Amino acid sequence: MAYFELAIGCILINNILLAQFLGCCPFLGTSKKMETAVGMAMAVVFVMSMAGIITWVVDTYLLKGLDVEYLRTVSFILVIASLVQFVEMFLKKSMPALYAGLGIFLPLITTNCAVMGACLLNISNEYTFVTATAASFFYALGFGLALILFAGVRERVNLARVPKPLQDTSIGLVTAGIIALSFTAFKGMV
Amino acid sequence: MREMISMIVVLTCLTAVSGGLLAAVKSGTELRIEEQVLKFQKAPAIADILPDVTNDPIAERFPVTADGIELQVFPGKLADGSKAVVFETKGKGGYGGDVGLMTGFNLSTDKIIAARVTTHAETPGLGARAKDDPAFVSQFSGKSTADNLALKNQGGAIDAMSGATVTSVAVSRAALEAQDLYKKLKPEIEKQIQ
Amino acid sequence: MAQSLAKEFTKGLWAEIPPFRLVLGLCPVLAVTKTVENGIGMGMATTFVLVFSNLLVSMLRNVIPAKVRIACYIVIIATFVTIVELVMQAFTYPLFLKLGIFIPLIVVNCIVLGRAEAFASKNNPIMAIADGLGIGIGFTLSLSVLGAVREFLGAGTITIWGGTPVFDMATVSSSFQPFSFMVEAPGAFVGLGLLLAIMNLIPSK
Repeated sequence: MAYFELAIGCILINNILLAQFLGCCPFLGTSKKMETAVGMAMAVVFVMSMAGIITWVVDTYLLKGLDVEYLRTVSFILVIASLVQFVEMFLKKSMPALYAGLGIFLPLITTNCAVMGACLLNISNEYTFVTATAASFFYALGFGLALILFAGVRERVNLARVPKPLQDTSIGLVTAGIIALSFTAFKGMV
Repeated sequence: MREMISMIVVLTCLTAVSGGLLAAVKSGTELRIEEQVLKFQKAPAIADILPDVTNDPIAERFPVTADGIELQVFPGKLADGSKAVVFETKGKGGYGGDVGLMTGFNLSTDKIIAARVTTHAETPGLGARAKDDPAFVSQFSGKSTADNLALKNQGGAIDAMSGATVTSVAVSRAALEAQDLYKKLKPEIEKQIQ
Repeated sequence: MAQSLAKEFTKGLWAEIPPFRLVLGLCPVLAVTKTVENGIGMGMATTFVLVFSNLLVSMLRNVIPAKVRIACYIVIIATFVTIVELVMQAFTYPLFLKLGIFIPLIVVNCIVLGRAEAFASKNNPIMAIADGLGIGIGFTLSLSVLGAVREFLGAGTITIWGGTPVFDMATVSSSFQPFSFMVEAPGAFVGLGLLLAIMNLIPSK
């Protein structure tokens, strides 16, 4: 049951994108079309869940074990970069269709603050292994949800008559703000 | 082949230099960081709990070990001559992780003087009220080691904060642990305190 | 030489100012602009990392093999980010707590990696420093402006350094009601969007 609360927390209340601001660059970049948004969402769920697990293990056994916690930033980003590299190579060989579908978004995930952010959040929240794994997955779902919602609205907004200075990124940000506002309604739910 | 070797060499050298540089910076700043943590995280809570002490609890802090637990204890000499100790415990299960609670005990009466939240990652306006608004934690003041510090809905004596049950549970867990540790470590504390 | 140096430096302050003209580095802009102070602090930390990583990438540009360049840049950037982390913990602890996980997140700030790849790897160290400084200061300016807008509208104060506000609307007019929407998450998005729209009204050279 606690996992249900965790899910609500990660997906709705503390949505990693709309409440914690992590992952904004791809948010604005891949949300102009629904297909690209869905592709990015899938890639992120994949990578974030695995990254969460591996970085937790590295932190608990390597960093804390050798008392080198200040190397967390360096080691985490290297883990994420290598993970993305391996996932790319693996998908290219064994699931070429999926690889082609994800396209350029896979390498871009390395610099996605949401992935690094989720891994760091697992540590600062002092989650256990199972909770960290679940949280990473839920955060990724929350990211995907926000991204897909946003892409849906944005496709419509881009067809409307927007004043010139507000076009494109500007109105995109305002729209994101309104969606973020609707998500604040979830506070105090649990 | 040569390309592969140069890739490995460059990456390894870079990582080694990085590691060395960071280790150096870390040891250079270690002491200062510890001071800062004490000054900003613990000192305000300690000052709140023991406003009229005649000594410096932070300067006179000492570690106490018993039962495999090590605790950093801040001693205080109250105005009426009795002694007090303040130490920090962490309550698991807060919204954003552990909630840190600093609890002060009067060694003569075995009662809690006061408790204050030190660190948390709770929701602003809801769980975060545990730190900003002392109304909730003031329930712990005056409680003895025999009182049940769990929440009322768990059979204890403490009212939870409205809209912030999860945080309230975490704080009460921290208080219960403080109570428990105090009982266990009191003999050791009395031996070492001046 | 001096002219192109000045050009590299000043482009970061207007023509390629992040995140308005150079649309990168959005996460920290949205997250740490609740007060001007946090914006300045984040800006300075990022500038430090930008300048030094640009410098090192530029110095090593002929040594780093092309195939592993991204990994190397990441190690270099992550090292400087960790140094900033430790220094901030030691000297500006309250600011460190307020900026939270966004300090280690400088390592994935697209600006830093972007400049390393797009500029520092192709230019000499002096130019790289100018570029890093210019973009970093421009970023700090953007953070401060958004921070000022959000803090003033959202709380009625302006805090530049040290935690206490230098200006507080409450002392000027007791009927001022802060629009707390601005300091919450949605306000960040909307504030940035509107500021961007205002910037778009000014034609870029």
